[in-house]
Amino acid sequence: MLLAEDDAMIGASVRRGLSQDGFTVDWVEDGRAAELALADKVHDAVLLDLGLPRKSGLEVLSSMRRGGDTRPVLIMTARDAIADRVAGLDAGADDYVVKPFDLTELAARLRALSRRRAGRADPILSYGVLELDPASHQARVRGTSVSLSAREFALLAALLARPGAVLSRSQLEGRLYGWSDPVESNAVEVHIHALRKKLGADLIRNVRGVGWMVAKPDAGQGTS
Amino acid sequence: MTSIRRELLVWLLLGIALAVAVAAIGTYWRARDEANALFDYQLKEMAASLTDAPFAAVPAGAGAIGPGSDAMVVQIWDRNGVQLFLSQPRRVLPQNAQLGFSTVATDNGPWRVFSTLAGAQVVQIAQPMSARRELAASMALRTIVPLLAVLPFLAVLIWFTIARGLKPLDRVAAAVARRSPAQLDPLPDSDLPHEVQPLVGALNDLLSRLRHTLDAQRAFVADAAHELRTPLTAVHLQAQLAERATTDVERAAALTELKGGLERATRLVEQLLTLAREEPGVSALAPSTVDLSVSAREVIADLAPLAGAKGIDLGLSATPSSTVSGDPDALRTLISNLVDNAIRYTPAGGRVDVALAEDARAVVLTVRDSGPGIPPEDRERVFDRFYRGGGAGAIRGSGLGLAIVKQIAERHGAGVELGPGVDGRGLGVTVRFATRDTRITPRGSHAAMAGSKP
Repeated sequence: MLLAEDDAMIGASVRRGLSQDGFTVDWVEDGRAAELALADKVHDAVLLDLGLPRKSGLEVLSSMRRGGDTRPVLIMTARDAIADRVAGLDAGADDYVVKPFDLTELAARLRALSRRRAGRADPILSYGVLELDPASHQARVRGTSVSLSAREFALLAALLARPGAVLSRSQLEGRLYGWSDPVESNAVEVHIHALRKKLGADLIRNVRGVGWMVAKPDAGQGTS
Repeated sequence: MTSIRRELLVWLLLGIALAVAVAAIGTYWRARDEANALFDYQLKEMAASLTDAPFAAVPAGAGAIGPGSDAMVVQIWDRNGVQLFLSQPRRVLPQNAQLGFSTVATDNGPWRVFSTLAGAQVVQIAQPMSARRELAASMALRTIVPLLAVLPFLAVLIWFTIARGLKPLDRVAAAVARRSPAQLDPLPDSDLPHEVQPLVGALNDLLSRLRHTLDAQRAFVADAAHELRTPLTAVHLQAQLAERATTDVERAAALTELKGGLERATRLVEQLLTLAREEPGVSALAPSTVDLSVSAREVIADLAPLAGAKGIDLGLSATPSSTVSGDPDALRTLISNLVDNAIRYTPAGGRVDVALAEDARAVVLTVRDSGPGIPPEDRERVFDRFYRGGGAGAIRGSGLGLAIVKQIAERHGAGVELGPGVDGRGLGVTVRFATRDTRITPRGSHAAMAGSKP
């Protein structure tokens, strides 16, 4: 996801906090940079501060919506007057948090946004015998709970977001690393390996030369 | 307490009483003149009637004319001056008479006397003047009694008229009393007598100035609340990260960041407090003489470690002893804010110069740095509270430093200008303290000249 926040301390903390929750965060510090980043269409959601220098958050949001960009936007604002919040929502924001906010709440709201975007009401991602709870990073396979690390969770969530589809290594790397993170070679393989070990090798299938997908072992080859 | 009503009543009644008294005196004088003419005519007529009659008949006639003290006295003498007749022997009147009218003083007050020659006899008729005075007085009294009788009614009328006239004042007072402290719209000033208009006008003027001050204050509080949220949000998030930390290394790093966040929040609160303290009209401290070179040296000593940590060459370049009149703490805050700002915005290895200069009219403090400077189009706005330059990059101040400088400078009658910094790069802030009033220079004539400048 894309974080647009001009305050260095807040930006660093939000980024760190959200990555602990399994989000991969790219951080920009002004409105122009935010627009450039949005043009790449690599982010699933935007966390937008309204008081950005160079181009205000509201302007960024308006031009995003005018340009037909429907990605979920959560605004962060220090102005808690109702008029300010209304202005943000009316400009096309999906949700807002008022500073100071709580990291846990912020993460929960982001999960809710991505859920709504995927058209789901149930917070639990499930496919076949596999269930994933994004709030607790717990996976369940055939009734057994398994704890996942933040990276493992991010990978599994990406695969479960489009069940049955094959995701390439670079697609999965994009899920694991923000712009400034050093990319470790073989990291995707390492984490997939760990996931297979925890969940059972039949659940994550490797399509040689293409990438990985989650499979429904009970339903054979079938995809829904 | 003075009362317009009582004052007006007393003075109006006194005025009316005075007018009545003047009228009474006038009436009295006029009545006396008329009485004189009338009684003189009467005396003459009487004398004429006596000359026609034989003198034997006189006593009865004279007695009939006026018995009592104010009655007339008739005397008749023959050619030889022998008194033939005296109507009232008790009266002592001049024995010798000059012909015609005369006024004679006696033991019983002045008498009016008329003497005339009738054949071989001199006939003299005398009448006391008191009779005429009494008549005049009674006429005067008759004139003023009705006026005096009306006076109480007049007093009541005046009393109520004044009360009616003062009604608009009561209305204004009630309108002011009904207001809540937040209700600062102008008072209605239509239908007011023009004596009350200036008062309401002045009140409305005060109300509007009050409203502007309050609006500015409200805007500042809103801005301050907003600005406080940012460091508090950072602290909140940093505390949460520290809480979540699972290893000691993580926790230590999170706590270091938390401390940084707290320092920043503390600094902002301190600056807000400084700004509030420097609010015009708040400080009632009597100005004292401050040597700016001493203050500058103290500030530089305080901030040297900060400059040293960034590898910035901080120094005081010229140090004439430069005294100005003002608040020593505020002036120190001013210098400290300027130097602190300069260090903050100057990249590592840069330079910050503090200089003092003095000419006939001003003490000039200059702080120059070799930082990025402020583009000319932003120079007006940097003095606004919470304004931060767009290109400041990673350096994030409270946005209050220059606002505080400006406020302190204004309170000391000093001007602040922005210009180029070290070697034409960076930012140079110049504060000019005009020195016309309290400075005493050794050359008396010079000081007098400087002092006479407006």
